[in-house]
Formats: sequence, structure tokens, C-alpha cells
Amino acid sequence: MNVFIPLTLGLLLGYLLRRSGKKPSLEAPVSVALLAMIFFLGVKTGEVQVNGLWLLLASTVFAVLTIAGSLLLAEVVG
Amino acid sequence: MRFLYLVLTSLTLGVLVGRFLSPNFGNAYEVMLYVLIFLIGMDLGLSFRKEELMKVGRKALLLPFLTLIGSILGGLIASLLLGIEPKWGLAIGAGCGWYSLTGPLIAQYSPLYGAVGFLGNLMREILTILIYPIATKRIDPKKAVAMGGATTMDTTLPIITKFGGREVALVAFVHGFVLTALVPFLLPLILTL
Repeated sequence: MNVFIPLTLGLLLGYLLRRSGKKPSLEAPVSVALLAMIFFLGVKTGEVQVNGLWLLLASTVFAVLTIAGSLLLAEVVG
Repeated sequence: MRFLYLVLTSLTLGVLVGRFLSPNFGNAYEVMLYVLIFLIGMDLGLSFRKEELMKVGRKALLLPFLTLIGSILGGLIASLLLGIEPKWGLAIGAGCGWYSLTGPLIAQYSPLYGAVGFLGNLMREILTILIYPIATKRIDPKKAVAMGGATTMDTTLPIITKFGGREVALVAFVHGFVLTALVPFLLPLILTL
């Protein structure tokens, strides 16, 4: 499923609720859903079979340096 | 800060469950993701103002290009440090956190670097979830969106919204959207080098 479908539906419902003068607090449901999603992401990660320390090390170096590169450019130029 | 501990606990617990029990949760991850995206959409709909979108427009359009260039440069430096052919580093960096696309695309040419591309970009997503709440204390939350790459329109959007605020959510979504549109074109191009 495309992420645009739930996003658009949510936007529409939120807009309709706002128009009708209602403003429910979404903090608790968002927190619960976020923690559940992170748990399932962890499960997916744990299931990946890592073949050797090198693979893990190389992946970590790539993750850290790509984040650092993006952040640095955003901070300096952006 | 208390919520960050809950995030860490949730992630650790998930990794341990996945590693030692390998349960079949089906598409529970995707379902939760869509629930979250729906709730975020609802939150935006409840508070959306046209003026806010006009305000984030310029920054939101420049930021993804800076993210992409920075990510590619980071990938290039990583490949030089690890003694890998630069082409693979450029490709892994150009993935911008989109592990489910980067891994399989690179694996068409090299299974080993496909695995590095998958894991490296997956780690980027996980690190964003863990670091973004801390990073926003030192860096502008809008600029810190860059760390999430293409994932800021879906998987890391909830954590960005939670710690960066509603205004940052709009920047993050546009940022992720632009990168999601660019990466599938750029990555295969790099792989043909």
C-alpha cells in the first residue's frame, strides 16, 4: 500500500474534525503505535543473518558517514 | 527523555525476539506503519494552516538535495576508508536510508555490497530513530531531518514529529517525498558507472 492513502485519509478526517470544532488528543495513540512499530522493526533487524564482523562494521561505517555527510551539508549550506 | 528509553527498550526487545525466536508477525510492521501515518495525517489535518506550508516551502525543497549530496559524499568517504571500489560507496550513499530498494538493486551487481547496502541503510534508519531526539537539542530540528534521508516521509516521520514538532513534520514529509522520487532514478544510474 502506498503511504499516501493513509496519510490522505488521516488528513481528511483531521480536517473534517477541525471543521466540526473537535480536537482529540493524538499523543497517546501515536506513542503506542510508534513503540509497536519500532518493536516490529527490531524484529525484522534481528532476523537478518549477519555474515561476519566485516559486514557489520562496513554497514556501520556507511550508516554513520552517510548521516554525517547529510547533516553536515544541511547545517553548513542549508 | 523517558520516551527515548521506551524507544530503546522497544527496539532492543524487538531485535532479541527477532534474533532468538524469529516469530512470524506477518506484515505487522507495515500495518503499524500505516496506522502511524494515518494518525500523523490526522494530526496534520487537525492543525494544518496554508500559511505554514508556504513558510516551509523553500527550505523543504533545498534540504533533500543537500541530504542527497551529503549522503553520497559520506558513502564515498566510507568506501575509501574501507578500501571498497568507490562505485559501491556512491550507490550505498545514494540509497539515502531506503534499504529495501538499495539492497536488492546493488545485489543485482554484487550480493556482498547488496548486503552492505541493505544493512547500512537499515542502520541509518535505526540510528535516525535513536539519534534524532538527542540531535534536536543541538541542531535545528528542521536541519536534523537530513539524517533520515528518504525515510522521513514514512518510517522516521513519527519520531521526527514527536520530537521536532508539527511544523517539522511538514518539512520531513516533503524532504522524504523528494528523495523517494529521486533515489529510484539516481541509484541505477550510479550502478551503471
